[in-house]
Amino acid sequence: MSIVLVTGGSGLVGKAIQWVIENEPVGSRFGRKDREEWIFIGSKDGDLRDFDSTKRIFEKYRPTHVIHLAALVGGLFSNMKYKATFLRDNLLINDNVIELSHQYKVEKLVSCLSTCVFPDQVKYPLSESSVHLGPPHHSNFGYAHGKRLVDVQNHAYYEQYGDKFTSVIPTNIFGPWDNYDLEDSHVIPGLLHKCLLAKRNDTPFVISGTGKPLRQFIYSRDLAKLMVWALHEYDEIEPIILSPAEDEEVSIKDVSDAIVQAIGFQGDYRFDTSKADGQFRKPASNAKLLEKLGDFEFTPFASALQESADWFVQNYATARTGKVSSPQV
Amino acid sequence: MGKVVLVTGGSGLVGSALQHVINTEPRGSAYGAKEGEEWVFLRSKDADLRDFEQTRKAFEKYKPSYVIHLAARVGGLFANMAGNHTFLRENILMNDNVLQNAHDFKVEKVISCLSTCVFPDKVSYPLTESSVHLGPPHPSNFGYSHAKRLVDVQNQAYNAQYGDRFTSVIPTNVFGQFDNYDLRDAHVIPALIHRTYLAKQDNTPLTIAGTGKPLRQFIYSRDLAKLMIWALRSYEDIEPVILSVPEEQEISIKDVADAIVQATGFKGEVVYDSSRADGQFRKPASNAKLVKLMKESGSEPFEFTPFQQALKESVEWFVENYDKGARVGKHHATNGV
Repeated sequence: MSIVLVTGGSGLVGKAIQWVIENEPVGSRFGRKDREEWIFIGSKDGDLRDFDSTKRIFEKYRPTHVIHLAALVGGLFSNMKYKATFLRDNLLINDNVIELSHQYKVEKLVSCLSTCVFPDQVKYPLSESSVHLGPPHHSNFGYAHGKRLVDVQNHAYYEQYGDKFTSVIPTNIFGPWDNYDLEDSHVIPGLLHKCLLAKRNDTPFVISGTGKPLRQFIYSRDLAKLMVWALHEYDEIEPIILSPAEDEEVSIKDVSDAIVQAIGFQGDYRFDTSKADGQFRKPASNAKLLEKLGDFEFTPFASALQESADWFVQNYATARTGKVSSPQV
Repeated sequence: MGKVVLVTGGSGLVGSALQHVINTEPRGSAYGAKEGEEWVFLRSKDADLRDFEQTRKAFEKYKPSYVIHLAARVGGLFANMAGNHTFLRENILMNDNVLQNAHDFKVEKVISCLSTCVFPDKVSYPLTESSVHLGPPHPSNFGYSHAKRLVDVQNQAYNAQYGDRFTSVIPTNVFGQFDNYDLRDAHVIPALIHRTYLAKQDNTPLTIAGTGKPLRQFIYSRDLAKLMIWALRSYEDIEPVILSVPEEQEISIKDVADAIVQATGFKGEVVYDSSRADGQFRKPASNAKLVKLMKESGSEPFEFTPFQQALKESVEWFVENYDKGARVGKHHATNGV
């Protein structure tokens, strides 16, 4: 009997993995195995920054496998303001989960890095071997260093003890159950929230910049399938980038067009070109993934976005819309 | 009521040198204690810094205004290669416990210690303060290196979020009294001192691995201690500063061996086994930032103790203390010393 413990089980990716485990057939490529129990824990089960609390969780469930998603995450402003907190809380959470996975002889641990932790000065496309080639961007450097250390820890545990601890590196994730806080959210949930408010309040939907920058997005449910695959079949200690191909990059304008369509916004929709664009492109290579799983079919962006938008509209009242909410909900 | 300076790792190579400087420099002088200032040298038996609560109790007891954080798990090449996880985790635990408690107890300044061995493996020379994070460290000691580099990250994070003044120094190869002379684990000078001593005692040749040609910058622990006191008083950056003799004062391994032979009075044969690999030929570090800052802060240019004299003092201490508690380690020569 295997016990798979998923930390951060109630977040964007955790909920997607729950959905995959509940919907993919048992024993199928992306489903749970027979005689495999999946347990999803959230912060209410214990504070992972505390070693003893984390130990109680491991003692209670005695996992044989761990998918470690729990982290302190935030948008640009939070990261810039709380560098020490983002660094330390993530260091504590990661050290506790990884060290206890070692102590409880967990057979496999898959943690999560992010394309936002790569060096600021780096050659594109990003690849797994460029993670440590220089310092990260200063704006999220606390979070970035906390995450990069996971890869260092994985190598150290493997070299000294033979532990099979590894990590994945998703690009920009979106899907149901996201964080839609207007100040702290990532680009897609932020735009979904802004568009819905514009529709309800009959105000313009204005996007900063030209809309031209390109990004790769991965649907949380596709990422979840790939993480289940990684848990069962990915055997390296080095991380693996999980992303659609570079030529599937989508522009911010394509994203907002799709959002306008999905929400059914019919008001004044425009770009404020006086505001700065982010970096034009930061493509990541998914060559390694293709080599291992060449036939994986990513959900087409438009339908993934439609599903995400529908979920958000239906669940607005209980979704994580944050502190800054619409006056008329 | 004077302020307290807490020194972790107080009984090690550098900690002992700081003790010597504080005990011998006049109070109120450039490298002495200030009037009313109390220096506390913490040892591992006083607190296991890998434990948050023990560390907190030490801060609670001494209520330091300043901390010089030297405590670390260190070791030679073989220890590092066999224990990269141990070196990574124990150093991260100690560093996090000391820095977080320094923050909680509103310590005015913390000076931690990095090392030139944590720089990237592939890097331009001479090393400067800005090259620390430009690529991965050498694989042999990556655990130790990442833990030390993280101190610089932590310093910047605490400063950015809270305005804490936590900084660090980067010495090159340190040598002096109270070193670790374990034959397997020691760094190059203490290892050569110990082996020369044994060769003299046992009437055997002294064999040195390699050609003796590689060059290194060495800093006498007592000079380093003075510079750390200068940093405590006058160094205001959060970024690290390299503490080293200038590049032109690099010394070859052969020059080191010759000086040790001279200082111990060894008269036997010295053999260079050039079938064994040399380390990297040079890994020079620039001390330009130190020189510039000392000048700007109005200090006299620092006079490093001449290498021959520093080495002589170090050898004399070792010979005197071989049987009186010097850390000669478990790995001995075979004839029962």
